[in-house]
Amino acid sequence: MKDVTFKIDGSDVSVAEGTTLLEAAKSIGIQIPTLCHHQDVESAGVCRFCMVEVKKGNRTRLVASCVYPAEQGIEVQTDTEKINSVRKMILELLLPVAASGPIKALAKKYGIEKSRFEVAKEEQTHCTLCGICVRYCDQVTQEHVAGFVGRGVKRKVALMAEKGDQCVFCQKCYDLCHGGRFIEIAEGFPEIL
Amino acid sequence: MNKLTSVQDLNALRAKLVADRNAIKKSVSVCLGTGCRAYPSAAVADAFAEQVKKHGLEKDIVIRRTGCHGFCERGPMAMIFPEKICYFQIKVEDVPEIVERSLVNDEVVDRLLFEDEATGKRIAQQHEIPFYKLQNQIVLGNNILIDPKSIDDYIALGGYSALAKALSDMDPIGVLQEVKKADLRGRGGGGFPAGIKWETTRNAPGEPKYVIVNADEGDPGAYMDQAVLEGNPHSVLEGLILGAYAMGSTQGFVYVRQEYPQATQHIGIAIEEAKKYGLLGDKILGSDFNFEVMIHQGAGAFVSGESSALMTAIEGMVGEPRPKYVRTAVKGVYERPSNLNNVETWANVPLIINNGSDWFRSMGTDGSKGTKIFSLVGKVKYTGLVEVPMGLSLRQIIFDMGGGIRGGKKFKAVQTGGPSGGCIPEQYLDTPVDFDELSKMGSMMGSGGMIVMDENTCMVDVAKYFTSFLADESCGKCVPCREGLRQLKRILKKITDGNGEETDLQLIEELGGFMHDASLCALGQTATNPVMSTFKYFKDEYEAHVKDKKCPSCVCQALTTFYIDPEKCTACGMCFKQCPTDAILGDKKVVHIIEQEKCIKCGTCFNVCPTRFSAVVKIPGTTAPAPVPFGTKAKKSSKGDK
Amino acid sequence: MEKTKSRIVGVRVNKDQEAMLSELQKRAKMTKSEILLQGLETLAEYYTLGPEQEPMETALRRMEKDALHHMMSLKKIRRKEEAIRDFVREIRAVDEIIDKHGCDKSMLIQIMLDVQKQNNWLSKPALLWISERLGVPMAQIMRIATFYTAFSLEPQGRHMVQVCTGTACHVRGAEELLTRMQGVIKVAPGETDDEQKFTLKTVNCLGCCAMGPVITVDGDYYSNPNVEQLKQMGEKYE
Repeated sequence: MKDVTFKIDGSDVSVAEGTTLLEAAKSIGIQIPTLCHHQDVESAGVCRFCMVEVKKGNRTRLVASCVYPAEQGIEVQTDTEKINSVRKMILELLLPVAASGPIKALAKKYGIEKSRFEVAKEEQTHCTLCGICVRYCDQVTQEHVAGFVGRGVKRKVALMAEKGDQCVFCQKCYDLCHGGRFIEIAEGFPEIL
Repeated sequence: MNKLTSVQDLNALRAKLVADRNAIKKSVSVCLGTGCRAYPSAAVADAFAEQVKKHGLEKDIVIRRTGCHGFCERGPMAMIFPEKICYFQIKVEDVPEIVERSLVNDEVVDRLLFEDEATGKRIAQQHEIPFYKLQNQIVLGNNILIDPKSIDDYIALGGYSALAKALSDMDPIGVLQEVKKADLRGRGGGGFPAGIKWETTRNAPGEPKYVIVNADEGDPGAYMDQAVLEGNPHSVLEGLILGAYAMGSTQGFVYVRQEYPQATQHIGIAIEEAKKYGLLGDKILGSDFNFEVMIHQGAGAFVSGESSALMTAIEGMVGEPRPKYVRTAVKGVYERPSNLNNVETWANVPLIINNGSDWFRSMGTDGSKGTKIFSLVGKVKYTGLVEVPMGLSLRQIIFDMGGGIRGGKKFKAVQTGGPSGGCIPEQYLDTPVDFDELSKMGSMMGSGGMIVMDENTCMVDVAKYFTSFLADESCGKCVPCREGLRQLKRILKKITDGNGEETDLQLIEELGGFMHDASLCALGQTATNPVMSTFKYFKDEYEAHVKDKKCPSCVCQALTTFYIDPEKCTACGMCFKQCPTDAILGDKKVVHIIEQEKCIKCGTCFNVCPTRFSAVVKIPGTTAPAPVPFGTKAKKSSKGDK
Repeated sequence: MEKTKSRIVGVRVNKDQEAMLSELQKRAKMTKSEILLQGLETLAEYYTLGPEQEPMETALRRMEKDALHHMMSLKKIRRKEEAIRDFVREIRAVDEIIDKHGCDKSMLIQIMLDVQKQNNWLSKPALLWISERLGVPMAQIMRIATFYTAFSLEPQGRHMVQVCTGTACHVRGAEELLTRMQGVIKVAPGETDDEQKFTLKTVNCLGCCAMGPVITVDGDYYSNPNVEQLKQMGEKYE
């Protein structure tokens, strides 16, 4: 496998072909913030928090660094005004839905005290739908108990009834939740299907 | 059916079928596209068969149940051959006369011909009817000549001759080059040059390569692909086989939405018949080329028509988009090179191979070659499918072909490009339909849906409609699309409910930019196009909703009031009888009154009040004039009550 | 021979007792002698159990209750057998569908579509069986079942009403038509009425834009029906 060389925030970096921008940045000490990333599971690229600006030729665009493969000669910026406004908006949109401790703290760090958005009470699920728990159950413990159901705003994490009672003994994904789902609900998941 | 083991076999078969076809002196093609099945067209076709049998002429007159003829407004319709007389709005009772006079004899039934409104003349020939005059039906044209369940019909008209030519006279690269030279741009919405996509797929490493027909056609109001797949499935299949040959693929898929049962059935039959003739499978027409096709049905999700989502569904997993930083042409189904094209794109391929890229390039504009099928629907007089050379103007399509706005109302806007597109107002009606021109307007060609709107369409309601649609269809994976659409929907509902604020309009703009930059797939990225384009051209309507709490077009139920004008009410009682919530107070000879608290704004009273009275009116705003006392005498109707 | 008193195995009985015996004869289909002997046996059983035993009446009532209970259990077992037969039939049909698609994981969605079409809904056992045979986790199956509108995890009504809410129908008044429809059949979109007669769904474009706004009922098309026509329709479909 050959190496590719490119720039991140002005610094040169050389990594194996196929390495994501997130990993490449980490290798030179740059920590790009993420919400849906976890080192034990495959990247999903759904929170969009890790977006960076990539200049390729004369075209610049925002990409999710956790899934974008490093390419020869590109220029990556990890902390621009545009990126910050995107991150702020993501948090502002998540706050009404999932105002957990970790999310509130992150929002404060980005200068957001109160969100301009609101959701109805029944839509406050405390879940950011990052999917770390689902991916963990699929890929690491391989029990396939947790899964997504529904689509759009009705999308949520559910337990498969046939195996749901085993969660109490496993509990491996509980600590992974930063949306606050497990902090709010003491035992197990919200819904058994 | 004997397997064709060589091009010679195919040519011999074709010669025989052509001779058989020419031996038939008279035939009639009855449209049984899905749009016409909604009329009693099947009963009309049955009546034709019955009548011909009555005359004992089943061997001499052929009745073809065909796919869509295009002029959906005027179904049930049929064309008599060889004279090519077009009859419209045929009732079952008309059929005996048609058979007697036009099939058994050679007469014309005048009253069933199209009547030109301007001149009052009756027109018999299709190409003289304004709806068809400016069309160039290179793709749709054969619908009227073939039974879509018959491969023989297709072959008789020259079908599979492009494949024969490719296998005997051209090599795969030659086929690819021809398509590339023709500058065929994708007809599904992206407008990406097909030849370049084919080349990427061909050159990408990995086996097997896949070729896929995208027949998901999710844009509401667009049914061009349905007409092509239902009416001429072999044209799409031949294109797919040619593509497979050019790219080195051995496995193809047709992904068709499950809301199209007839199209699914017809392409299924087409694949079976092609297999029997050896046009699919091993050693096609005696060559070294092997190719199989499988059908996958959608299950009711708009987002599954997105290329990466579609390919995920083909793998048996839920059809959600994936972050796409490596082209699906390079890594698609099972991470193999996969070429996805739209139904209409594939249908153009055999034409390009047979007639040459120069022929194709002779039609259209500099940036958009060939023709495009549009679905002309909404408030237009003549609803239907039209196939025009690129470069015709919107005005020509909507007014010259579509007859303008129905009911004598005024044109307001035309929505193109479906939920990813935008509205184009009156001042830009002379824009030529062309991929790049429409994008410049803030809209896009999209798959070809053209929804015409009039003065009674509320543009804020249109924006809310598209936003709700996308919110329902969003897969919900990524924050920008899911949460962005949740908020957009909430804000637009707030506005149409009468609770809009100035800050809401600013939030909409901010969300628009954010979703465009940060969403995972094209659904989220283009989700705010409808809102932004209506905002751009119809800002006054938004302000009326937010500041004045009025819906100027009387569409938004919360900002519209239904009222019975006491000066016009003749107490006919039609509204009283039909109100589903019994919200109307009325009695013989007294002015009827709507009890506003019970009114659910369904519009029934408005629709049933006889036009000569027109006593029920819609008023923008939330207040009705004070009701007259119950018992006020109603005006006498001059022509009697009913 | 009609006498006020008869001798049966040497026992004198009065008229009432004779009537009772005839009744018992009819029911039990035994001869009078057999009945009397049976009665004696029961009494003997009763008396051998000892003086602490319950009175005769109570004992008889208990035996009657036992007999009834036995009868109910038999009914239940028969119903259970029927249920098991239905279940096996359903699973066999699902099996056929899976085999038709070559038991291929990539055909999961196609298999589910065929099962939905056949039974008008996706029952849990059917899904569990698909999971077993294809080797696909239930999580994946439920993801698909809840993602797509074609699937229903609950039994649906006998008649499917679809109101097209595509753009062309929308500008021609599909919303008003939907409100009218709800007012007549009293069902919310996406739901089934209490008698399981109608399921109401909205659909995004049926491809008959010339007839808009359009609805279908069990595949029959209707263009812009008014309240009268809707009420007639409500009665036409049982």
